[in-house]
Amino acid sequence: MIGVGKIKQYSNVLDKPLSKGKQEVSLSAFAFLFSELVQYNQTQVDNIAELERRLEDAGYAVGARVLELLCHRDKGNRRETRLLGILSFVHSTVWKVLFGKVADSLEKGTEHEDEYMISEKELLVNKFISTPKDMGTFNCGAFVAGIVRGVLDSAGFPAVVTAHFVPMEGQQRPRTTILIKFAEEVLQREARLG
Amino acid sequence: MAPAAPRSGDAIFASVERVNAELFTLTYGAIVRQLLTDLEEVEEVNKQLDQMGYNIGIRLIDEFLAKSNVSRCVDFKETAEVIAKVGFKMFLGVTASVTNWDADGTCCSIVLEDNPLVDFVELPDTCQGLYYCNILSGVIRGALEMVSMKTEVTWIRDVLRGDDAYELQVKLLKQVPEEYPYKDDE
Amino acid sequence: MAAIYSLYIINKSGGLIFYKDYGSKGRMDTNDSLRVASLWHSMHAISQQLSPTTGCSGIELLEADTFDLHCFQSLTGTKFFVVCEPGTQHMEALLKVIYELYTDYVLKNPFYEMEMPIRCELFDVNLTQAIQKDRVVLLGR
Repeated sequence: MIGVGKIKQYSNVLDKPLSKGKQEVSLSAFAFLFSELVQYNQTQVDNIAELERRLEDAGYAVGARVLELLCHRDKGNRRETRLLGILSFVHSTVWKVLFGKVADSLEKGTEHEDEYMISEKELLVNKFISTPKDMGTFNCGAFVAGIVRGVLDSAGFPAVVTAHFVPMEGQQRPRTTILIKFAEEVLQREARLG
Repeated sequence: MAPAAPRSGDAIFASVERVNAELFTLTYGAIVRQLLTDLEEVEEVNKQLDQMGYNIGIRLIDEFLAKSNVSRCVDFKETAEVIAKVGFKMFLGVTASVTNWDADGTCCSIVLEDNPLVDFVELPDTCQGLYYCNILSGVIRGALEMVSMKTEVTWIRDVLRGDDAYELQVKLLKQVPEEYPYKDDE
Repeated sequence: MAAIYSLYIINKSGGLIFYKDYGSKGRMDTNDSLRVASLWHSMHAISQQLSPTTGCSGIELLEADTFDLHCFQSLTGTKFFVVCEPGTQHMEALLKVIYELYTDYVLKNPFYEMEMPIRCELFDVNLTQAIQKDRVVLLGR
């Protein structure tokens, strides 16, 4: 065991049972933490595109780990290998674990074969956030786009993933759409698999 | 209207909206990782985590006051108890206890039984000087400063560094008297 | 709409960070509202000094012929006050609700800078709902 013979007994994370994922913290604690993540990253960038990229990178790190965790805990060390399987895994399983609900919708893009959209009326990370008008189309959902890209990429489905506000008829607030554009190789592989 | 009675940490935690702790833990991990990349030096990361905690603390205190109905604490002892019993519970869902008071009641320890920040975490050799949970000390310092208490908050024990518990020492440096700032020369 | 004329939020240094008026009465231009805010900040402080008992936290209610002014000051020093028709009920509870909206939609917004004027769309939207007359009546329960 690691740590034997040292004065202090270093705990080994692998010796502990994997958490069942039932623990909770208050939404406020998460909201304050996320707000600070955005504020910190604002001090590190010169423009909005960079801010988007950095939030996406932070999310990517979360997504890669979420995939590992869920494949191990919920899927008996198996993961999805088909396009629709992995998309529905993100839309249902990942969403439910991270945001407490299945995403509002999963749709295929109408204009491009390689595009899919996951939409949410109110993204959890945006619940308390009013984006200033002078930030244009910026959406803090870039973090969630990063999570999605992290899951997909680590599962062998490289894609470009972006977050967009989409105005809804009759609704005061726009919804957020996470746009997934798969790499060409992914579609070619799918075609081969038939 | 009579002021509403203070609420227990458990009652508040049960009534507020909650999220899976893993989202919180992994997001915090992403922040620490960003800082390690941006700042490189572990000592700088410790400082930045403390600063970020402070920034959170000065905002979070109002939510704490609004939701807990806690009124002004009579002394620092009561303040420490309220942080441990109500504060940690209502935000993180964990219980903390207060021990190791010094003789004049201005310094104590807050001991955490459970700490949602550290699930999945083990410090690699390159990060041995890292105070991984340093954001928490900053939160306490920031929150107390907004209610006129200057404090110094330091880690005494840290499980990630081989100790048997998480222990934060909170030391009251100065209680800014509650006067209006007209005479303030700052 | 409850008979509320206007709402002010003042930061701990006495600066007006939010002002909104509801309806025709007591409408003020920017300069006047800033003046009212800083005057109220001072009067509130003076009232604490004038109080014959210690531990006074300042004026909570000012009653005049034509309006009431209800004020709530958080322990962090931010003041929220409404000016309303004399005798309007449930204003303390409403101020508490507004305080909670402030902690949600202002303080958790990464684009809000502390102590600065509040420009948060979600705060406005939720405030407008909270101040509806039927909502305010429910606060009495």
